[in-house]
Amino acid sequence: MIKRRTLMGTGAAITGAFTSMFAGRKAEAAKSAKNSATYPEGTIAPRGSFGVLERLPALDLEARQDFLTAFRAFANTTIARNAQARANELVKGAGKTPTELNQAEAIELLQDDPLVAMTSKSWLTAQQLMWDDLKNYFEANADRYYSEMEAVDNRGPGTLELNPDMDIPEYTRHEIHIQPGGYVGHPFAGHIYHYGTNAFYTGRNYQDELHRGAASKMPVPADGKVKRILDVGCGIGQMSMALKERFPDAEVWGLDIGGPMVRYAHLRAVERGVDVNFAQRLAEDTKFPDGYFDIVTSYIMYHEVDPTGTHASVKEAWRVLRPGGVYYPLDFKLKDVPPATAYRHYRGWMDHRWNNEVWSPKFRANGLPDIIRKAGFDLNEEGPELLRGFGVLNATKPA
Amino acid sequence: MADNKRTDRPTYAADFIKGDTDSAVFLGNAHIDNLMTVVIALGSEIWADRQRLRIVEKLLSSKGKVTTEMVEQYVPTEEEKAAWQAEREAMVKRVYAVLARDTSKARPFGEERQFN
Repeated sequence: MIKRRTLMGTGAAITGAFTSMFAGRKAEAAKSAKNSATYPEGTIAPRGSFGVLERLPALDLEARQDFLTAFRAFANTTIARNAQARANELVKGAGKTPTELNQAEAIELLQDDPLVAMTSKSWLTAQQLMWDDLKNYFEANADRYYSEMEAVDNRGPGTLELNPDMDIPEYTRHEIHIQPGGYVGHPFAGHIYHYGTNAFYTGRNYQDELHRGAASKMPVPADGKVKRILDVGCGIGQMSMALKERFPDAEVWGLDIGGPMVRYAHLRAVERGVDVNFAQRLAEDTKFPDGYFDIVTSYIMYHEVDPTGTHASVKEAWRVLRPGGVYYPLDFKLKDVPPATAYRHYRGWMDHRWNNEVWSPKFRANGLPDIIRKAGFDLNEEGPELLRGFGVLNATKPA
Repeated sequence: MADNKRTDRPTYAADFIKGDTDSAVFLGNAHIDNLMTVVIALGSEIWADRQRLRIVEKLLSSKGKVTTEMVEQYVPTEEEKAAWQAEREAMVKRVYAVLARDTSKARPFGEERQFN
């Protein structure tokens, strides 16, 4: 693991360290950068990494994020359990069973209860504080973070394509999950997303474990040939890199509409020495030739896509897959979902309305499996399950 | 639409649609909501200080000296990471458990004017 800030430091340290690093003298570069102590007076030297995770750059920031992660887990469990019990009492008091109310009725019944409201407030506050703390830190140290990305934009392994003049569909411009600026609107969207989602996963994905686990179960074409893989809506490239780890000889591409997202993805890939190509492009318009890929996938993208984008993306996946190729859009479960309780209805609404999960309700109503079938794919909804509790959409383009 | 392009360097950031979550009031009064935010934020600040203190203590007892750089760069052992996580969780539970209290029987002070 390359120590990003050990190698990059600031100012004059950057050029020398990277020249050495990409000449294949990583250890010497690290030693040289560390020994030369070329960090500005009054600043703190780099903090290194844990495995594939670059440590947050300041102890206080790291500690606050750790705390908010613990608080989020508490809100998700202890407070939420009690709120669920309270909601069940309210439903019972209204003479109904837990799954009898529709969403509008559930919201009406529950939203003014103090404990239910406290659950929402505490969870959302942890979310807001987590994002804002990260955003404020990266903005306050912008020069360093721009320099890090600029130093590797045009270096390998792998390539980076940014398209600042492309048309960005309106549906992608929202602050999904209330991330400041969303995926397209903040220069450090990738940095913020990475450490923010680490808190969201409550510590279970510091080493990209979920992405690596999903990639390890990805089905392959019946003929076993995997020469090229496409990961659309790749975000910061965690799934793309996990797929490259599993299929080291394959040409792997990660596409995302967020320029800052793929820029950060490329930074991480370079520092890890992972040969993945990232490009700022749409899942609906990948620019690849017909039949180019053996596998097309996405990691929890479709619930953040509007219906028009969904139809177009599935059609595009069909176009760029070769006959016999596998299409597996990993996302929330749509099949065999038990009837929602009143509390679950309320939480779904809260997530949509106040956590800015803008397109999730449409995703659940949109019939993605049918869209995939109508595009021409053979769809297996039985397995494999890439992530526990998530949906199975294992599609094949007929040979 | 909002923008986030405050530099002459290439940002590759585009205009975005600002959410309105800041306008949400869950606890009946925006100021009470704000106080709730303060309470959680203060918890994170206290934990950060506690973490720093813990590292200082560790370095002083093991190295006999401490500098800011040593504190910032300290790499905890796996045992320490697990212990700190357990302490965080215990602190959150200890301090915030009251938030999970069922308040359905709560009533304003002064509602009962007679003691029996």
